[in-house]
Amino acid sequence: MQRRPLLLLGLWLALILGEAVSARASQTVWSGLVIATNVAQPDPIPAELARMEGTLKELFGYNQFKVIGQSRKSLVTGEEDWLAQSKYFSLHVDSKSGNESGYVLNLKLFQEKNLLLETDARLSKASPLVIKGPLVGNGQLLLLLVVQ
Amino acid sequence: MKTFEEKWTAWIDGELAGAELAEFEASLPDKAAAEAEKLEAQKLGTFLKEHLPCQAMGNEEFFQHQLRERIAADAGGTERETDGGGRVWWPIGRLVWVGATALAIFSVCTFFVMREKAPTDQSQYLSQILNARVDPAVSPNATISMFASKDDKVTVLWVEGLQSLPSEYASK
Repeated sequence: MQRRPLLLLGLWLALILGEAVSARASQTVWSGLVIATNVAQPDPIPAELARMEGTLKELFGYNQFKVIGQSRKSLVTGEEDWLAQSKYFSLHVDSKSGNESGYVLNLKLFQEKNLLLETDARLSKASPLVIKGPLVGNGQLLLLLVVQ
Repeated sequence: MKTFEEKWTAWIDGELAGAELAEFEASLPDKAAAEAEKLEAQKLGTFLKEHLPCQAMGNEEFFQHQLRERIAADAGGTERETDGGGRVWWPIGRLVWVGATALAIFSVCTFFVMREKAPTDQSQYLSQILNARVDPAVSPNATISMFASKDDKVTVLWVEGLQSLPSEYASK
């Protein structure tokens, strides 16, 4: 009977910590390497890009977007790093810090072992990030990051 | 029917009277020796009362609590203690412990709240390019610009002049 208040306090503390951790763990960042091309019969756009289909087509002038590499990372501390890669390209993402509104990321695009591009960006939950990469064949490499 | 020992004890305590007293004293084989023994017993009783007072209980509260617990258990646990029902208030030690626990909880909550950075002056709803660079040795003519599409809040880093690659680089 005397330990009941202590148990209740412990339970309360556990609930608070659990809530805090689960709230932070609920953020997932999708990172994709996408090849945009123009074809006669375009495939449906991938689900991750559907919300910005109009903008992508308008900005880049292509009608088909194919994911050639991707990564879906659940962020707990906001200080993780991960890699999305295709056969020849890899996008290294290093999350420096984060909160509920977004993350500060360092992005490096490699073509095999050559660093093509490096950028620091603040990725917001409500705002996808698109990076125009090099021309590949008759298409265009795009890098996309979306908080889901 | 009382035994002899019961009558003896009652006689020493002065609790026999009337016919029972007369009958008991008549049954004593040596009344003088018995009277002497009764006197000694009474003296001993008086001595003990004077020199062995009842000891104060050191853990009175704990004992009371245990006793109430036992009574409640015996009663079937149907009655619950309430604060207004005579429950002993927490001792100082436990209050200090609970206070320390509350402070620890407050500190943890504060830690999580303070970790959330205050929003910057710029809109927190749009992604931002903080800086960007390309290797001038690999792409000497590269140019970088950035803008945001307000329709669906897409932030774009526009890089021109990167070296073009053959179509096989589009492989998964």
